[in-house]
Amino acid sequence: MTELVFPITAPRAPRGGFTRAVRIELLKLTSTRLGYGLLAVVAVLTPVWTSIAASRAGSPSGGPEPLYTAAGQTTIIAGGVWSMIIALVLGVTISSGEFRHHTATNTYLAVPGRSRVLAAKAVVGAIGGAVYGIVGCLTALAVGLSFTAADGYRLVIGAGTLADWGIGRMVGTALLGAIGVVVGALVRSQLAAVVGVFVWTLLLESLIGGLFGAARPYLPYTAATSLAGTPLGEAGFSPASGVAPLPFAAATALLVAIALTGALVAARTTVRGDIT
Amino acid sequence: MATIQIRGLVKRFGPVTAVNGLSFDVTPGTVTGFLGPNGAGKTTTLRILLGLVSADAGTATIDGRPYRELPEPLHQAGAVLEAAGFHPGRTARAQLRIQALAADADASRIEDVLDLVGLAGAADRRIGGFSLGMRQRLGLATALLADPEVLILDEPANGLDPEGVRWLRGLLRGFAAEGGTVLVSSHLLAEVAQTVDSVVIIDGGRLVAQGPVAELTAGGAGLEETFFQLTREASS
Repeated sequence: MTELVFPITAPRAPRGGFTRAVRIELLKLTSTRLGYGLLAVVAVLTPVWTSIAASRAGSPSGGPEPLYTAAGQTTIIAGGVWSMIIALVLGVTISSGEFRHHTATNTYLAVPGRSRVLAAKAVVGAIGGAVYGIVGCLTALAVGLSFTAADGYRLVIGAGTLADWGIGRMVGTALLGAIGVVVGALVRSQLAAVVGVFVWTLLLESLIGGLFGAARPYLPYTAATSLAGTPLGEAGFSPASGVAPLPFAAATALLVAIALTGALVAARTTVRGDIT
Repeated sequence: MATIQIRGLVKRFGPVTAVNGLSFDVTPGTVTGFLGPNGAGKTTTLRILLGLVSADAGTATIDGRPYRELPEPLHQAGAVLEAAGFHPGRTARAQLRIQALAADADASRIEDVLDLVGLAGAADRRIGGFSLGMRQRLGLATALLADPEVLILDEPANGLDPEGVRWLRGLLRGFAAEGGTVLVSSHLLAEVAQTVDSVVIIDGGRLVAQGPVAELTAGGAGLEETFFQLTREASS
């Protein structure tokens, strides 16, 4: 330890704005291993899942349509949307992690504006989610193209459609990342929020979509997966028929509205609470 | 330099009144001990002062403003409230980089404060592997990084070894000698007696006594004896 001499002169600067709050949250995310670990999960789970689906394509015992059909190729390339669920989990950990690790005190001492912190976290959740979406999209595309070529078929899906799905997956995962932040801010308990994400996406949306078919396109996880081109019902465990997915703009607007509404509720309730 | 002002502070948690009409001042150039038995309301008061807990009544200000309204909060007040308040998977250096970014302090300050608190050799280790004392030192580094005018510390000697306690004493004395304002909560009365100029003693959320240590102990009793006598009288 060194002898202390006061004052230690540190350069003064005006109080940072929102951009600085985003940079702080981004630095927090990139200075721990969780974000990278979840990215690795996306990078492994997506090709494994799509490979299993592709290997079963055209099987008489069930599975996706044959790989020479547009439906079969769509199921493989636009499927495997684990990046969407993992983006939600990432968002949840970004906000609820403050309470799990008791770091909320230091966070709010550094940036006392709590709504600003929440908004910055949502932006970082969206950035992280978009990265997961890109990785998920590229790995699913690589697997789909590999299986299609290996079976001697040509790609029947146009480049424009593939680009739309790629952009859609990036937008969908980004918005789910932001929604995850809001969920984590509302629930605070990281375990409960993460379990809730899996129960909602894999169980409840399938259940609600199965019981009330007309409501299926409006369910948030389903709307996000439809942005990526995933046929309705294929991201869950119940088939859909006779219902069209929401158009791109409507699905995006729905997810934005969910994120904003949740953020407003959180900002007026849990985020304002005492940090004891 | 900044003054801490607490005026008529009240905080209730359900049926429990944690702070009950508390008022006191902490002036620049002094180290003020904030004393009281467990549950007296010390931590709640400090958290209200730092904008982490909302008061039901009264005000708590630094330099005349609530913490949340300070234009440069990290430059005006440095605080250590809980040694466990760091992400275990982050390194000490990364933690300080975040703090430096929040304060818009120069990156060179990170090395300065790491050296100051004796953590230069552990800067790239993950905080999860730190001892309580090392976490306390990291907390102090975080608080000092932006060169604040006020230090607010809750039990900062917890986990420090004797050498660390002595170092902390020197740090606080040096900070106050340069005109800084120090409010330090502690239950280590013997240690407090060697460090502080004045004390604020509370019990049951109320002020029991406030003043220079020399005045409060003028009758010949030490600080420890005076503390027990005053809190006994307040409870009875």
